[in-house]
Amino acid sequence: MKIAPPQVWRNKKFMYKLIASKCRKCGNIDFPYSPYCTKCGNSDVEKTELSGKGKLVTFTVSYQSREGFEKSLPSIIGLIRLDEGAEIIAPIVDTEIDKLKENARVEATLRRVYTDSYNGLIQYGIKFRVVEE
Amino acid sequence: MMDVYANAASIIPIDRYYEYDLYDLVIESFKNLEQQYDTSSRGIDLIIVANAYSQKLNSNSLIGPKIAKKLGKTDIPSFRVENGDASGGTALLMGYSAIKSGLAKSVMIIGVEKQTDYPSKYFNEVLSTCLDEQMYYNGVTPHSIAAIMMKKYMSKYNVPREYFANWAIKMHQNAVENPFAYLRFTVDLNTILSSQIVSDPIRLFDIGARADGASIVILSSEKTSESIKINKIESTQSRLDFSPSLPSIKTLRSKIEIKDVNRTLFEIHDSYSVIAAIMLEELGITEPGKSLYNLDSLNVNLSGGLKARGYPGGASAVYQLSEVYMQLLGTFKGKKITDAERSIIISSDDLGLVSYGIELTR
Repeated sequence: MKIAPPQVWRNKKFMYKLIASKCRKCGNIDFPYSPYCTKCGNSDVEKTELSGKGKLVTFTVSYQSREGFEKSLPSIIGLIRLDEGAEIIAPIVDTEIDKLKENARVEATLRRVYTDSYNGLIQYGIKFRVVEE
Repeated sequence: MMDVYANAASIIPIDRYYEYDLYDLVIESFKNLEQQYDTSSRGIDLIIVANAYSQKLNSNSLIGPKIAKKLGKTDIPSFRVENGDASGGTALLMGYSAIKSGLAKSVMIIGVEKQTDYPSKYFNEVLSTCLDEQMYYNGVTPHSIAAIMMKKYMSKYNVPREYFANWAIKMHQNAVENPFAYLRFTVDLNTILSSQIVSDPIRLFDIGARADGASIVILSSEKTSESIKINKIESTQSRLDFSPSLPSIKTLRSKIEIKDVNRTLFEIHDSYSVIAAIMLEELGITEPGKSLYNLDSLNVNLSGGLKARGYPGGASAVYQLSEVYMQLLGTFKGKKITDAERSIIISSDDLGLVSYGIELTR
């Protein structure tokens, strides 16, 4: 994966922040932001920034990499239900695999995701870490 | 509205063809087709190529016209459709619609995928472009999404890890009898449970075996003694649902008729064992949470499925249709279904977001 600075700039709403849309008709929350509700199709949505706090519903430990992500192996990928109700798939960091439990409280944290060594660029993104109650 | 028939079908064994490129695979399949169907004298109005990854994996665009040219059919309108691993279903819907509407009398559907030139980490990179951007840029793979669905399934239905091994065991049993299958060997529970962990709890034997392949089907409005009728093709799509569920399949259930299960041949898109289980259940063929305990009573994926016949990416649905065509004509060389008059094919992408239901009768 090569990093393109214009792409990084465009993607800041989901790579650097948790900008979502909330449907005024059905209440569905879409992350990343969508101008049309992905549940009911309504265009009357409001932009909202999610808290980044939630619960780890479940997770998987991945041992097979993608090109450029080799150093992150084994990686933990979690299904997180944010306090606002939205579900998000994201990496889990700063934890020992054996100690990680479902239903743990988690919060978003900005971390390095990928380095494009050819162009000397670094991609950051939002991952999640376990927090004490 | 015109009736639509499949009048000929060709496949080549799914394998790692180091000596063949994308075009060579199609040419090999076309040679097989020409032995049963003379495309020059009978006429082709349109060529549709189903392929998911040629731009990334083969550095090739505009492959529809290029393939037509290599088959000596430069003047026949040709294009490629890309809808991830559901590309085959999309191509069949396009061809079916063209004939149904009277725009074409005869359409050649070519499914081709060349996936084995690169190591798995590069292939995973390409496959992950099918995910939403937020997941793609964060390094997630479809394997991990399927693993989360599998954990949710295990929790919801209280089934052990061993439950999913039933799918691989059955598919490998079927593939042994199929001379066109990629993995023609049987496996036991111990082999499956000790295989490489890809994304826990998903192991190597829970995943469709991707390799190279090419298959061709001739669709036509002309009924012949070699015809199998395509009654309908329905299309649905949905969002990911970690309940776990496949809403696109659930919607298909209301659009295609599931009846007389014992005398119907099912070919489903078993990209992962958990996807196969949920598909069977969403279609109403089996009871929720128990589908993989009841495989012996079903005529499902007699080819060996994506798991063991092999997973030719965007060409998958063309393989499925070719095999079903041969099954209903009684010419399939693998495990046969007896006295079946009807078949249902389910074509999907890797995670079942886009689905096609194809209903055929003899």
